[in-house]
Amino acid sequence: MRNLFRIYLEKPELAGVALLVFLAALFEARSAGAFLSGDNLRGILGLLPEVGLVSIGVTILMICGEFDLSVGSTFALTPMAASLLIIAGVPALAAILLGLLLAAAIGFANGFITLTFVIPSFIATLGMLFIVRSLTVVISGGFPPLLPDDLATGEFTQFVGPGGLFRTSFIWFLAIAFAASALIANSNVGNWIKATGGHLEAAGAMGVPVRRVKLFCFMLCSVMAGFGGIIQVFRLHSPLPSIGDGLELQAVAAAVIGGTALSGGVGTVLGAVVGALLIRVIDNGLVMTQVDANWFKFAIGALTIFAVVSNSWLRRTARRIKVAG
Amino acid sequence: MGKHSIASQALSGIGVAALSLALSGPAAAEDKLNIVYTHHSSASNPFWQAVKKGFDDACAKIQANCQMVFTQTEGSIDQEVANQQAALARKPDALITTLVDNNAFVANLKDAKAKGVIVIASNVDATEGPELELRQAFVGQNFVPAGTTLGRRMAALFPKEGPLRVLVGVNSPGQNWSEQRAKGIMHGLEEFKKANPNREIVIDRLDVSADGAVVSDRVGAYLSAHPDTTAYIETGLWHSNVARLLKDRNIPPGKILLGGFDLAPQVIEQLKSGYIQVEIDQQPYEQGFLPVMQVYLEKKVGLAPADIDSGEAVFTPDQADQLMGLAKQGLR
Repeated sequence: MRNLFRIYLEKPELAGVALLVFLAALFEARSAGAFLSGDNLRGILGLLPEVGLVSIGVTILMICGEFDLSVGSTFALTPMAASLLIIAGVPALAAILLGLLLAAAIGFANGFITLTFVIPSFIATLGMLFIVRSLTVVISGGFPPLLPDDLATGEFTQFVGPGGLFRTSFIWFLAIAFAASALIANSNVGNWIKATGGHLEAAGAMGVPVRRVKLFCFMLCSVMAGFGGIIQVFRLHSPLPSIGDGLELQAVAAAVIGGTALSGGVGTVLGAVVGALLIRVIDNGLVMTQVDANWFKFAIGALTIFAVVSNSWLRRTARRIKVAG
Repeated sequence: MGKHSIASQALSGIGVAALSLALSGPAAAEDKLNIVYTHHSSASNPFWQAVKKGFDDACAKIQANCQMVFTQTEGSIDQEVANQQAALARKPDALITTLVDNNAFVANLKDAKAKGVIVIASNVDATEGPELELRQAFVGQNFVPAGTTLGRRMAALFPKEGPLRVLVGVNSPGQNWSEQRAKGIMHGLEEFKKANPNREIVIDRLDVSADGAVVSDRVGAYLSAHPDTTAYIETGLWHSNVARLLKDRNIPPGKILLGGFDLAPQVIEQLKSGYIQVEIDQQPYEQGFLPVMQVYLEKKVGLAPADIDSGEAVFTPDQADQLMGLAKQGLR
């Protein structure tokens, strides 16, 4: 038992992995083997990068002790801006980079407002959620613009790998997840982020540039959301103004399910990925097993509460054992 | 019994339940037809309950194994795409689906074709592009003519003299069904405008959303700014919320004319109260029922699915009582 707690303390996201394995086995049996078929995995892995990237960004920001509710709107505005630029004749790569720059600016604004006026980021980004969604509708005129038919999006959406199991977006996602994981786990910046989120005053006293660290995390979070949105729009080949609606809460749920503490300082990129994968698996599994999909939100809600309660219980118990030991 | 043993018994109980759920396997029998219906609407939209009833009734008649998948967010195309993907991974015999965007579903429909899955568009069809080639038939309303009919019927009720101001509410800008109906409505109204060159006629178009509360807020704001509005015509069924708003503001029925699409109990109620003057129906029950029958005919007899226009029936307040009877049975 003590060993289990030690493992949990070192790798809190493993509880999510265990749940993932259990659910995959359950859905596989209930769907007569269709759940783990190449076809369905292709579907799940094809959609994962979109919510996955947003979850990674939100998780890093939460580790830093802040919150971003505007990611769903940034997810829509970034590709909308990039698409309009492409339609206006700007080369695709430049348009994407300009879109991501816009996302970074939104992140900067979120951070600047939060830190300068010392208000909760929950409120600052809630305001930004509305502002950015409105801007998306305004610049599109309410109507989704038509992307050129010959626009090459293979770098983001083409199927690759054995049996075409992945989209290229999945490779982007893996690369970004590894880089983000290395950033958090093995770099000075990562230590600063954890210290800023976990012990703000102590971190400041020790010379960590907390303001700059937070601004960086806000901007990273927005850029991740914007990139996720670009991938989705290229996959659907349609820049819809409504995409990403409600995504912010799914991303927070993914982070929490993956073991990120709401109080900051604790969390991993792997946890965010596992959390996002769990959400996708539940969404897909309910359809596959013909359970009424209206239970989806119930399942995510229950899982979120369960994850927070069990994480805090496990953390307390593990600490007690550590102290007693 | 100690705390721990209760907890461990509870845990093992949950484990056994999960295991038996896992081992019980899918309910479908091998020889039954598997039919999935995916669309862009959430379960809270009353229109889709009538489609679902038609779908379920048809499936019961041919003893098919059927599933209708709603989206979590009203009108979410990306969620519909994800639901289609999950459904197609099980290789059903048929996919019945709405095609609310001309590009978003192409990859899934190609996948369906490669797997030999019958695809029938229902309720909303693509307006152009490869999706039209990839689906075998469309069962639903022809939106532009239906919109034109609504525009004409509403225009016939306009006052014979004086300036006119008409608000056209587009519920889902960019989605085929809403855009095409709006196009038809505008066409009907423009005809009236041309026929009356000496009258001052203002036609405004507004994104009113597909959420009843938002529709009533936005139209309410417009009416506050323009109390002289003659009529509000929309592409969906949320004008019943506007009817309620007019009642709250003590505006008598008929002062501001209301017209829209689809019958739901809330709409029929407002037809009866006289706030809504014209309603165009597209027979949602048929849109659920007939595609299933077409799948059956193709699979069992080899007859190919064909387009069916489920109509543009015009309803007026005098038919409200009869309609309410059908609505209570879930047929309207």
